[in-house]
Amino acid sequence: MLDANIRSILMQVRDEAAGEGIQASFLLHHEKSHLMRIGNNSVSLNTSEDLLRLDIVVTDGRRQGSQTFLGAVGSADTVREVLASAREKARLATPKTYQPIPDEVQVTVSEDSQFDIDLADLDPAVKAGAYGGIFSELGEEYNYSGSWSSGAMEIYLLTTSNSNEAYHRGTDQLFSVVLKHPEKKWELTHQQTGWRAGDFDTGRTVAEISKLLPAYENSPGYKVEPGEYTVLFGAPALAEIVEMAAWTGLSGRSWEEKQSWTAKSSPGQSILGENISIADDPGNPETFMFGFDNCGRKRRIFPLVGNGDLLSLMYDSGTAARYGREPTGHDTGSPSLVMDTGFGPGDPLEAVMGMGRVLYIPALHYVNIPSRSKGIFTGSSRFNAVLVENGEIVSPIFSTRITDSFQNVLGNAAVISSRSESVNGSNTYGRRTPVAMSVPSYMVSEGVKITDSADSF
Amino acid sequence: MTDPDKIRKDITSNIARISSEGADYVDARYYMEDSSETLVLYDGDLEANDTTVQSGVGIRVLWNGAWGFAATSDPSGIHSCFDRAAQNARTASELVRVPVSMGRLDPVRGSFSTPVEVDPFTVDLKDKMAFLTKLDDGLKDDFVLKRVVYANFMKRRIHFQNSEGSEIRKDLVHTFGMMMAMALDTDGEMQRRSMNLYTTGDGSAGWELMADPKQFLENTDRIRSELAQLVRAEPLEYGRRTVILLPGQGHLQVHETIGHPLELDRILGYELSYAGGSFVDLDSFGRLQYGSEKLSASSYGGIANSPGSFGFDDYGTPERDYLLIDRGLLVNALTSRAMVNEANERAGRKVFKHIGGAARASAFYRAPIDRMTNVNILPGNDGTLENIISATDDGIIVDNPVSWSIGSNREHFHFGCEIAWEVKDGRRTRILRNPTYQGHTLDFYRSLSAVGDSSTWRVEQVNNCGKGEPNQVMQIGHGVPVVKFDDVISGERK
Ligand SMILES: [Zn+2]
Repeated sequence: MLDANIRSILMQVRDEAAGEGIQASFLLHHEKSHLMRIGNNSVSLNTSEDLLRLDIVVTDGRRQGSQTFLGAVGSADTVREVLASAREKARLATPKTYQPIPDEVQVTVSEDSQFDIDLADLDPAVKAGAYGGIFSELGEEYNYSGSWSSGAMEIYLLTTSNSNEAYHRGTDQLFSVVLKHPEKKWELTHQQTGWRAGDFDTGRTVAEISKLLPAYENSPGYKVEPGEYTVLFGAPALAEIVEMAAWTGLSGRSWEEKQSWTAKSSPGQSILGENISIADDPGNPETFMFGFDNCGRKRRIFPLVGNGDLLSLMYDSGTAARYGREPTGHDTGSPSLVMDTGFGPGDPLEAVMGMGRVLYIPALHYVNIPSRSKGIFTGSSRFNAVLVENGEIVSPIFSTRITDSFQNVLGNAAVISSRSESVNGSNTYGRRTPVAMSVPSYMVSEGVKITDSADSF
Repeated sequence: MTDPDKIRKDITSNIARISSEGADYVDARYYMEDSSETLVLYDGDLEANDTTVQSGVGIRVLWNGAWGFAATSDPSGIHSCFDRAAQNARTASELVRVPVSMGRLDPVRGSFSTPVEVDPFTVDLKDKMAFLTKLDDGLKDDFVLKRVVYANFMKRRIHFQNSEGSEIRKDLVHTFGMMMAMALDTDGEMQRRSMNLYTTGDGSAGWELMADPKQFLENTDRIRSELAQLVRAEPLEYGRRTVILLPGQGHLQVHETIGHPLELDRILGYELSYAGGSFVDLDSFGRLQYGSEKLSASSYGGIANSPGSFGFDDYGTPERDYLLIDRGLLVNALTSRAMVNEANERAGRKVFKHIGGAARASAFYRAPIDRMTNVNILPGNDGTLENIISATDDGIIVDNPVSWSIGSNREHFHFGCEIAWEVKDGRRTRILRNPTYQGHTLDFYRSLSAVGDSSTWRVEQVNNCGKGEPNQVMQIGHGVPVVKFDDVISGERK
């Protein structure tokens, strides 16, 4: 739990600030992270971090300033110094043309339903042992890479608006392994996610990779010529497409500023296929569940797209203030996007049994957006991508580029899996902020545009 | 953190302690200061007014050929942080098939400071705001729907020390800036025109870079005028044609398809679980014709005031100026000490004769990996931009990226740009919108048919290059001239 000394220091400085009439918020982020990286069948990095960050935002009428401090919060004076810097920045800032909405913890909350002490304290030797086991099970003749990030994080938020406190504690992990053939150069991968140490299972990774090994070992690569194809997207690819579609089309800012592919549509109008429903649901256990956002707003299920119709848009505090809207609890680094499942069979190959030639692209590499207004994305296949004919895997495919629109790919889904899958979308660039989406385990889209392919994997 | 002298003494004694316990190698980077300030004016509203301050120590221990790393921002926790790094290395050494070898080097003592006239952190916020607001005013127009003015300042004071007796002091300052105007085109789609702060390669990198009128102030009219034409322009049609890259786009082409594929850790397979691999292998050096004879590319390039100039890398190796590609032939890579040793051992020959000095970490709490420094294309002999245009029958000139997507081995790419100018029969004709182009890296560089002279060359700054796990964002420079490629697929198929 939160260090009692730090809590009392922050409450003390918050109370002092409130007494002086300062409008401020105090966000403490503490992480204990571990990451083991694998390269060339060895541990290439084994790293631990214990970092504490304090963000203080001061609102002075229409002026705002913020200061982030990374270091030890040992005394009230440290916090007072950070507050003084934020206050000075706010004093010298130019005023905004609109009134910012002050942060406010709406209700006192303390949540740790996704905290597992075994994962928080996981011995790095367990990770090394698991990788070693995978190498020997799948064969030492292959080249292995991977990474396994795990850790615990806590957030504590106070504001001068009231005496409420918001506290969140959680653990998370993201495991990956890449198996590469040293001569033929193809790559297979498997990932695992979760918030408990027990969510990880070596056997699952071995079984999933073993399923694909024969096709890769026994067939040369297949070069896909540009054209339109039926594509079976796996959960990681689907999660990436939905996440990008939401970021460019379902955020209030993009929409208000006419930059989004939904800009010409209003809530209630059809934007995607009738079988597509998307929500932000912080109560879905296949996501990392944050019950409040970084401005103190309570988060609850928030429908975005229902049966293809645009239902609502996500407004962070700044956008809401600027455009006179209500903030929707989306000032967070961790949205909990959920796409509804459909009626397809559990086995993706069974779903494409009568469909002739299908490209099975489980994951997309390096997706970007050439046109937000048109909803066009581009990215290429990498791991585990195969050509399927009448439900049978025929051959792995070379690196293949898709350039198409969200409207087309999410507008022409012929089959959507009835089974959901949690896809971890966390990165480790800044502070530890676990993100996961719950999406159908696959989706089959017709008429997907393949625009380029390489002569190699 | 307080009392730097005490912290340095603690570091010295702990390096000795862990070495005596049996470590192969130990180093520590102590960031006395690491500050970053970001200011964003969005339609004139100050939407970001943020400063981050951090300090701490990152410790790396090599034990039986395996790396362990740990970091702390707590000055009282240095002793235990060394223990944790050593323990992490011992655990890692249980699963090592390719032991890391650092070899033995003589100690290096030195210092590096970015040349700066005015430290941006000493400029009053009021003065910064006055300047940025003036820029924002310059972007205003009736048809302009959105304006963005961005400034980012970084300052780092770093002490490096290792178990071989090396001691290095670095004082780094970076100034980044961007201005952008946006407007709706005739189809109701948002178009944008922007410009990033660049350097000429000479001079300094402080506030004066931002305030130099030749940079932003004298370009606001051009940005508005190009945007005004862009919103009325026709879209680029699909086809094969010549593509001329201005440095605003060329630098990203170089970054993604020369820089990243030539990072030695990537070539050796240490980035496969995240960023990807490289189509280049150890046999390629001295043998692979990467591009036409007009292509010569360098690392570092002796550029004074770039974010990719830092004097000594985070292994303590001096940054070196050398060619990566010599008249089309691949000759070298972006390298660090451990990776050079491993590559030469694996190849059974001295593929790399020197260490490139390209190991970099983004913060005290990250371990160094092989990064770009300044990756540059050397100026050529094909004259000015106008000379290059007049020698082009059918093509486009493109500037500034909107989108970039690259294959996992950097073997193919797709770029979207802000603007294109059509070139017909040696003349610039009209502006075209939504330009994209794509290609396969080797075919593309082999089709390089003109390289501009030094009048077209400038150093573009990148402050968002992502790599590594845990992820690290790095600051890089790219000195690039105007470059022309033939027979490139551009635009999208209907
Ligand atoms: Zn990069």
